[in-house]
Amino acid sequence: MAATERPQGRSMGDRLYDAIFGNRLWRSIFRSGYPNTPRNQMLAVATNVFLHLHPTRIHRTHVKITHTFCLGGLSFFLFLGLTISGVLLMFYYVPSVDRAYTDILALETDVRFGQLMRNMHRWMAHGMVLTVLMHMMRVFYTGAYKPPREFNWVVGVVLLVLTLLLSFTGYLLPWDQLALWAITVGTNMVGSAPLLGEPNRFILVGGFQVGQAALTRFYALHVIGLPLMAAVFMMVHFWRIRRDGGLARPL
Amino acid sequence: MAAAPQTQAQPASAAVKARQRRAREEELLVWPDLVFIEFICAVLFTILIVGLAVMVDSILLDRANPAVTPNPSKAPWYFLNLQELLLHMHPALAGVVVPTVALIALGAIPYWDNTAEGQGEWLSTPRAWLNLKVGAAVGAIGTTLLIFYDESKHIQVFEMIAGKDSWPEPLNFMRGLRGIQNEINWPAWTLDVPLGNVLRLDLLGLPKIELDWNIPGFIVEQFIPVNTMVGLPILLSLVAHKLKIAQTKRDHMILQFSGFIAVYVTLTIVGTYFRGEGLALVPYTIFADPSH
Ligand code: HEM
Repeated sequence: MAATERPQGRSMGDRLYDAIFGNRLWRSIFRSGYPNTPRNQMLAVATNVFLHLHPTRIHRTHVKITHTFCLGGLSFFLFLGLTISGVLLMFYYVPSVDRAYTDILALETDVRFGQLMRNMHRWMAHGMVLTVLMHMMRVFYTGAYKPPREFNWVVGVVLLVLTLLLSFTGYLLPWDQLALWAITVGTNMVGSAPLLGEPNRFILVGGFQVGQAALTRFYALHVIGLPLMAAVFMMVHFWRIRRDGGLARPL
Repeated sequence: MAAAPQTQAQPASAAVKARQRRAREEELLVWPDLVFIEFICAVLFTILIVGLAVMVDSILLDRANPAVTPNPSKAPWYFLNLQELLLHMHPALAGVVVPTVALIALGAIPYWDNTAEGQGEWLSTPRAWLNLKVGAAVGAIGTTLLIFYDESKHIQVFEMIAGKDSWPEPLNFMRGLRGIQNEINWPAWTLDVPLGNVLRLDLLGLPKIELDWNIPGFIVEQFIPVNTMVGLPILLSLVAHKLKIAQTKRDHMILQFSGFIAVYVTLTIVGTYFRGEGLALVPYTIFADPSH
């Protein structure tokens, strides 16, 4: 909005703009107006708690959609979406073998938008496994794992494992036949390891077969343990991208 | 979006190996350029997800019942590749050793291929696409053939051509991997070798091994699978090297990684769509009723 050749007097638009963005409430939240000079735009990024995960400038090749296909960003976006919809699901769900299944049924039939919430949570969960895998492939094929980004690739592999575990622990919670037997098959795989397999399976399941103890453990891991770990590793992941000099580019 | 002219990446001449100073005119401000893209992406995906969630309901089967085992029982889809492996080898191998080794190998990629070649651009080295295609094709076709072999599909094909029951008796051990165990007259002693009496670890002061070793079982469940999974990728790299398909570290990396992804995807597809009752290989079950 170039303010060069303006007729005298303030237009309606200007006054409206001032009323919305110049009042005390707005100014108390956003200290400065819209950042319309390069200096202010950099400050906007550097001083905002959410935006400062970004650098203030990035190389022009990296804003091309086809460079990243937004896949890492989408993984993070889905993680945030899953957190929000997950909290809403927790309002209605009690992790007990007596209640879990009927809670899900009630969620689908009695709760307004309950079915929608459950669907969104589930599709985002499947989606996140896919976007993380595809993000890994994009990083590989753009050669972005090479020095100095080796360690961030390793952090990525940890995030991949955490994503799979998050999805796996969530799978049990509806407590239907699909859930029970998928987790039984999955945990039996752990149990087949030599020496430590069976003890590990026992710790994971909390007994000889998937029951209340398993449900409690999976719930705790799913709603707090694993998301916290994932959040920590994501912070490291994003921080490292900046420390490694932004996204990789040709030498 | 940006007004500055499109500039080409510098040719990677050996003289200009060191990282150049950051060229400011090559850079954009995160606000508004990147923030704008992120915002659009987020809006599009919100719409997509809400749309999907409105149209497709998630599955909810009957209440969990430990007394009723569904047939087939399957793990979540992203573990069906491991469940597929489980059908062809020792469970400890498929369920634990392979995924652990695979993850460690994945994490080790940058420590092995630490060249700067092909960095920051899609498949930019000379033979990148070639290696991607070769790796993916060998991985997908090889996995399919191995599964067919273990499921005795070659017998079916042979008998379709040569007539019913025409597979020669002496070749019965080639009916599938298990054939080596079941169709060969193994001397009785090979079926339980008291390992503790052979490997006298107790003489070294270690605990005595209490294990009756089944040699044919070991060969079929562990020795052959391990050698296949390690040997075939090495063979692939050797052949690709000889044929000058893969010449640099990055070439080999692309070859192996693409092969790995192809194997992973193939196993997942087979495990998801081609395993029916009793996990038998069936033609296509995508439309099967999920409720049994
Ligand atoms: C929860 C999972 C993950 C999240 C949320 C995530 C997020 C991100 C984001 C937002 C970026 C910026 C560029 C982009 O969008 O592509 C990025 C870059 C990167 N990611 Fe991830 N990531 C995840 C998993 C992984 C995995 C599984 C790997 C590899 C095994 C990985 C390795 C990397 C590397 C090496 C970069 C730097 C890329 C470059 O310099 O071009 N990340 N990640």
